[in-house]
Amino acid sequence: MNGQASRRIEVTRSGAEDTRRRAFAGLWVALLLAILTFLVVYPVLTLLLGALTDTNPVVDGFSLRHLSITNFLTVLANPNVAEALFNTLVACGGGTAIAVAIGLLFSWIVVRTNTPFKGFIAAASILPLFAPPLVAGVAWSILGSPRTGLINTLFKWAGLDWHVDFYSLWGLVFVFGIYYAPYVYMFTSSALRNMDPSLEEAAEISGASAFATLFSVTFPLIMPAIVSGMLLSFIVMLGIYGIPAVLGAPINLAVLTTYIFKLTNWSPPLYNTAAAVAIILMMVTGGLVFLQQKVLSGRSYTTVAGKAFRPRNLDLGPWRWLTFGLGVVYLLVVVILPSLALIVAAFRKFMFIRDAASLFDMPQYSLMHFYSIFDNPLTLNSIYNAVEVGIITAVVGGALAFAIGYTIHRTRVPGRRSIDLISTLPVAIPGLVIGVAYLWAWIGIPGGLYGTIWILALAFIARFMPDTVKALSTSFLQIHRELEEAAWVCGKGMLGTIATIVLPLARPGVIASMTLLFVLAIRELGSSLFLYTSNTMVMSVLLLDYYEGGNIGKTAAFSLVQTVLLGVLIGGANWLARSSAQGSIAQRIR
Amino acid sequence: MVARIAKMLAVAVIAGLGIALSGAPASAQAEFGSPELIAAAKAEGKLVYYTANFAEIEQLVIKEFNKRFPEIKVEMVRAPGGQLITRVRTEAAAGKLIADIVDHSDRALMLPLVDLFQDYAPPNAADYNPEALISPKLWPRATIAWAIGYNSELVKNPPKSWMDLTKPEYDKMIGQVFAQSGGTTWTRIMFERQVLGEDYWAKQAATHPVLYPSGAPMADALVRGEIAIGPLLYNVIYQKQRDGAPIKIFFPPEGSPVNPYASGIPKTAAHPNAAKLFLNWCLSKEGQTFMIKELGNLTSLKVPPAYPEGFDPKVVKVWYPNFDQYVKLHGPWVAEWDKTFGYRQ
Repeated sequence: MNGQASRRIEVTRSGAEDTRRRAFAGLWVALLLAILTFLVVYPVLTLLLGALTDTNPVVDGFSLRHLSITNFLTVLANPNVAEALFNTLVACGGGTAIAVAIGLLFSWIVVRTNTPFKGFIAAASILPLFAPPLVAGVAWSILGSPRTGLINTLFKWAGLDWHVDFYSLWGLVFVFGIYYAPYVYMFTSSALRNMDPSLEEAAEISGASAFATLFSVTFPLIMPAIVSGMLLSFIVMLGIYGIPAVLGAPINLAVLTTYIFKLTNWSPPLYNTAAAVAIILMMVTGGLVFLQQKVLSGRSYTTVAGKAFRPRNLDLGPWRWLTFGLGVVYLLVVVILPSLALIVAAFRKFMFIRDAASLFDMPQYSLMHFYSIFDNPLTLNSIYNAVEVGIITAVVGGALAFAIGYTIHRTRVPGRRSIDLISTLPVAIPGLVIGVAYLWAWIGIPGGLYGTIWILALAFIARFMPDTVKALSTSFLQIHRELEEAAWVCGKGMLGTIATIVLPLARPGVIASMTLLFVLAIRELGSSLFLYTSNTMVMSVLLLDYYEGGNIGKTAAFSLVQTVLLGVLIGGANWLARSSAQGSIAQRIR
Repeated sequence: MVARIAKMLAVAVIAGLGIALSGAPASAQAEFGSPELIAAAKAEGKLVYYTANFAEIEQLVIKEFNKRFPEIKVEMVRAPGGQLITRVRTEAAAGKLIADIVDHSDRALMLPLVDLFQDYAPPNAADYNPEALISPKLWPRATIAWAIGYNSELVKNPPKSWMDLTKPEYDKMIGQVFAQSGGTTWTRIMFERQVLGEDYWAKQAATHPVLYPSGAPMADALVRGEIAIGPLLYNVIYQKQRDGAPIKIFFPPEGSPVNPYASGIPKTAAHPNAAKLFLNWCLSKEGQTFMIKELGNLTSLKVPPAYPEGFDPKVVKVWYPNFDQYVKLHGPWVAEWDKTFGYRQ
């Protein structure tokens, strides 16, 4: 009797707890969905409305009267759109292939081998990420122009009958590939770092060669990271304007983003058509994301389990000098050459270089571009604003992405699939078009969001949410459930488990995503263009001003300033994070 | 006695000088507005300036204005033409137009928005060429002109006229800004067809020009030697020439198409007096002279106070487009231009 009663009380108690937990989950999902609606759904709907009408939703009111699919039909019937789409797919496809090959190779070299000076290679290989695409485009046009490119000038000087032409689709593929290799590197290296090497050891004990182990064990195990990195770099390339704008313009080679930019920049501007092209771009991306989920679903990729391990380095023997050589070539092509081009442009009075000898004509060099940019009061203002926006975006966006990523991958709450889908939506909307959508959507909000730094930060958080959530997802997918279960068994609640288990284990991923977010926010141009006002101008907008003002010298000088600034900030943050993180993870696992 | 007269004279001269000296700034400032306006502008202390012109060029203008009126801070928002119009329309519709001045290169895009603007005319309104005005509310703050530039290191036999740009010897050496890029380029395209001949485009296209989205990157390409020759806005290339870049620039004898801007003060301006003072200064003889001499602009004043370097009014005729045609011909002519030059939309 007594026993029965106590059991009944227990059941009722656990029932009450269950209800409470369910209510909490419901509230949590509702909260996330509300945030996502504000950040994503509402602006995308304004965009869709723009694509389906010929009106500006703010000017003409949100009306459904002029609804038609004329814009879509015009766009679909235009052979130039088809051509731009084809160019886009070739450039991004080819670029992704190169980026994955290079990124994967270098994350393996850096994380898993005893290649000399690999720390230095690792640090330097991230540098291209700091340079805005526009700057990368400018640097490669200085290097690879068929007529005035420094590479061709040097070939001629060396008496070689070689010739490069980066004003071509293949030039675009190459620059995309090397420029986004660090992107893939960032994903795959953190996965490799977190991987328990015992599986590899097992393969080797069973007689597999190092090479066979790499392809049959290591790479398949970090497949989520590879696929995420691949997909993301493809998608990010889809949305890049700067590189194709600089390299494609001289031969009238259009990709979808440059096409959209043209539409918004024409006189009169055709935003509604641009919105229609953007929706097509979104559909392509949607398809890709679906594909990724199909490929990854139903498999287990947990490589971090509740067992301590020591990351091990493969002893390459004399071959380590080959990997070192590869590292040097990579650095030379990806970092040193473009940086040299920018340095020459920043310090040279004019970029007319007749021959190799004139490259070393010292009276041609001066600090005039630096004087000139720091004479401009907007320069310091824009740096301050950009850093402020970058920090807000990284912190708030990082926290939101963590919440979303955790909900999607570590819980079974209803509605998590919708959260996944919505948070992925903004991925392929070109910044320029989503910039207009944010302007349309948020300008009317009472309380004066418009004209503040927050409207920029919110736009960046929304725009880069897919990148951040995906970057974090790889970390979540790797952590075995048994670790969390262990914490629950020990009486930790959900938040306690997150704080003591998930967060510390996912730390490299969290830091990498926040760093990524910071860099992306500082570089982002498209959506800033519409949202900045006179006292919230950011660096990227000023950089475009310099470029559009026909000042390659000032553009280069300012981008050097930006690169150095980002390098110092991120280097500092990483150093801090690493020194505080060391030991703490090991401690917790112990 | 003589000494006393001399002393009195001296006192009178000194006093007179004193009056003249103390009066000088006041009368000079009067050119830009009444003392009440100036006082009200100084009390406002700032203005927000939306412009489609290049930020750097406008920084120089603001700096010069601040030499006169250091108390007034000019905050600038710069965007390319199409984007600027979208921003202005959207902000205005949401009741959040921040601009105290909107300054735009494409008058055809500004005209439909004329109701947003308040009545405004500078003190020297009567001195302006009526051809340059599309509305009594919108003023040609800047007037910019087309010229031809070439890289003097690359071109040994330079062109001397617009017609020379059709010569086969310049095959693949010329750059051009495409027609759809905005008001200034459209003015040039109109000029080419109406003044240089119906077949000018086709002849020019036969030299396979490289097409650029905007004049400034093209000017940079000219300096670098990516292209060797091209029609360019004088103010875009003038600074580079002055700084010593290997380029030469000239106004062709067939005429120089000019594009007057349209600048006005929105009804919602939060700093209307500062805005008026800034526009008054820009439109004054002093402001226009500065823009001509330092930036390489022309002016829409009936009697130009100066000419840019290399501009001989006896040789070069300025060419204003007929505004009706400027609006009506735009669509069909740009489409034809795109076809002629193989520019894909």
